Amino acid sequence: MIAMLANLLKALNSDSAPGQVALAFALALITGLTPLFSLHNLLIIFIACIVRINFGAFLLATAFFSGLAYLLDPAAIALGESLLTNSDYQELWTGLYQNELLRISGFNNTLVMGSLVIALIAFIPVLLLSRWLILAYRDRLMVWVDKLKITKLLKASKFYKAYQALAE
Amino acid sequence: MKQWIRWSGLLTFIVILALLVLGWMFAAGPIIKYSIETFGSQAAGAKVEVGEVKLNFSPLAVEILNVQVANSDAPMENLVEFGQAVADLELMPLLLGKGIINNLSLTGLEFATTRSISGALDEESAAQQAEGTDEKASVKKDDEEKGLVDSGLDSMQQSLPTADELLAREPLLTEQRGKAFQQQFKQSQQAINKSMAAIPNEQALAHYEDEFNRIINGRFKSVDDFNQRKKEFDQLKKRIKTDKKAIQAATKVVASAKTELQKQWPQLQAAPGQDFSNLKSKYQLDGAGVGNLSRLLFGEQAGQLSQQALYWYEKVKPFLISEESEEEVANTEQSRKFGRYVHFPTERPLPDFLIIKTELQVSLALGDIDIHIDDITHQQHVINRPTVIKARGKNLKDIAALNVNGVLDHRVKPSLDRFDLAINNMDVKNYNLGTMGLKLNRSQVTVVAWAELSDDIINAQGNGVFSASKFSSKDKTVMAKEMVASLAKIKRFNIDAGAKGQLTKPELSFKSDLEDQLSSAFSRRLKEKQNELEKQLKDKLNNKLLSYAGDYQQQLKKLDLTNGSFSAKQDKLEQLADSELSSFKEQQQQDAQQELDKERRKAEDKAAKQQKDLENKLKDKFKKLF
Repeated sequence: MIAMLANLLKALNSDSAPGQVALAFALALITGLTPLFSLHNLLIIFIACIVRINFGAFLLATAFFSGLAYLLDPAAIALGESLLTNSDYQELWTGLYQNELLRISGFNNTLVMGSLVIALIAFIPVLLLSRWLILAYRDRLMVWVDKLKITKLLKASKFYKAYQALAE
Repeated sequence: MKQWIRWSGLLTFIVILALLVLGWMFAAGPIIKYSIETFGSQAAGAKVEVGEVKLNFSPLAVEILNVQVANSDAPMENLVEFGQAVADLELMPLLLGKGIINNLSLTGLEFATTRSISGALDEESAAQQAEGTDEKASVKKDDEEKGLVDSGLDSMQQSLPTADELLAREPLLTEQRGKAFQQQFKQSQQAINKSMAAIPNEQALAHYEDEFNRIINGRFKSVDDFNQRKKEFDQLKKRIKTDKKAIQAATKVVASAKTELQKQWPQLQAAPGQDFSNLKSKYQLDGAGVGNLSRLLFGEQAGQLSQQALYWYEKVKPFLISEESEEEVANTEQSRKFGRYVHFPTERPLPDFLIIKTELQVSLALGDIDIHIDDITHQQHVINRPTVIKARGKNLKDIAALNVNGVLDHRVKPSLDRFDLAINNMDVKNYNLGTMGLKLNRSQVTVVAWAELSDDIINAQGNGVFSASKFSSKDKTVMAKEMVASLAKIKRFNIDAGAKGQLTKPELSFKSDLEDQLSSAFSRRLKEKQNELEKQLKDKLNNKLLSYAGDYQQQLKKLDLTNGSFSAKQDKLEQLADSELSSFKEQQQQDAQQELDKERRKAEDKAAKQQKDLENKLKDKFKKLF
């Protein structure tokens, strides 16, 4: 956890593109808000693996959004329920339901459907917002954060050193 | 673009995925083994042990070896065990978390095999003692039931007691009425004797007659003689009058005795019949006592068979149908934590678990039985198909054909399980009936039966046609011999058995034309015995009647004779009295008549003489003239 936090700090402080970190946040939004063991998350993890994003930021953000999901689940379930039972979409869902691969995705689960829709809707705003926040951080807060005792403590830890050595 | 692609990440992803797949491949067998043993044990209530689980990938199949399912009721015995089960799995549903098995084939299936170690679940070991107690109670109950059967038999055997036993055992109307009749008869006899003493006997009557003859015969010598005789006659007449009154009184006494006895006689006469009728109905000498005989002969076996069938149904049911409770469904589907799955119409709905086809062959002593089961699932409502069972006998010994069809429909509440059984021409040999040492030496049986089970309620009906039957008994009792003799006349009979009510305690019904036939045959046999008994009873009852009534008819005849003699005596007395008066007048008239006749004859003689004299005179005068 500390290593991931340190990695996040490094990512935020490093020269890595703000878009890569922001994309990690946005992808983590999907894995975090939706049930982890879903077929679409395998795809997200696959994307997270092959696209050069900050993986530490992805994992940390996944953990963060998973926590947030506990608060959002009732709303997600209600949304999924209304979408899946909406008579206007019955033909669509019935068509998708005939495909076993799609059924494996669990799209007909109210939580999966609701949380995925929320995550997808929030994907672009989160991507843009997090990119803007990263840039703002680097411009205004990075120097101040580096001077914080906790940051110094983290950077002095064995985990961080080990991580840095591995990363380099 | 290169800046965005991380090839090392792709490699890492593949490696991790491969590791996961390999891990699953190696772990799947033990996981499946663990799952079968854990959930199977829960369902069976006893240990379920799996030797090994192998996973094949082309096609995807699970091979399960050496499975033993212990019997929860007898932990040292396996309910069922099989050597190999091959389940042909579908991959895609498996990824959906649904176990869809296209085909399951079982080989080496055996039932009720012995275990080397106890199959009881650990937490149930404590409960075993209680079960042991239950078993003892069950054995005791069986004994009690057997006792009931025996007592039923005993009561039947008691239906042929001896006449003396019956008469000694029961209060008889013949005795009651006989005593009353006897009392009345004695009283009447005393009254008759008393009245008889007051009437003249034959000697007295003869004396009267002699006296009358003496008085009325012979000529009255004089008026004094007449007066004397008249006086004697009057005295005799007075005595006759008294005797007549005595005779009238005696007649009345006899008539009254006769009326009273005649009034009681029909009741006494009917008493033996009523006694006989009472004894007959009480001791079931009318053949109705054999009405439940077929139940006695076959009921226990039918009960055991139905219990066995229900036992196996209860044992197998959890493996075929493990129904989700509505609560479980609600919990699964309505969980806020995991959301719920909304199902849509599909040509291929997938329950959580489904064995589309199961094929197994069971080797029993009577031959092989091929069993096909379609759609084993606990979620029939998802596939909208019931579980269908078909069992066919193959290479059967002593059975021409055996078919069992079953439909376990749990799609809607209440669930309905239906089974149909058809057995054609089953040779039954040396089948112990367990009663009176009776044995069905041979018979050919055709059975058609069905059973419906719904919400722990059973409704079952079966019909068995037994033909070319031959019975015997090793027992030497009269009853057993009579039974065999009766059964020898029956070659073909039907048995209808039914069960209704709570599954755990069904009410068994038993009907058979054997009862009618046996009743008829047994009644005939019984009739012969009964006739003997009836004759003995009647004789003995009549003897009783006679002992109380004597020979009533003779007594009655005697009374009639007595009565008749009274009339004769009275007539005689009347005649004597009348004869006296008429004789005395006649004598006077006769005397007068005789006098008149005498005078007339004298006058006639005189006139004739005068006429002759005149004629002679005339002749002489005429002679003189000529």
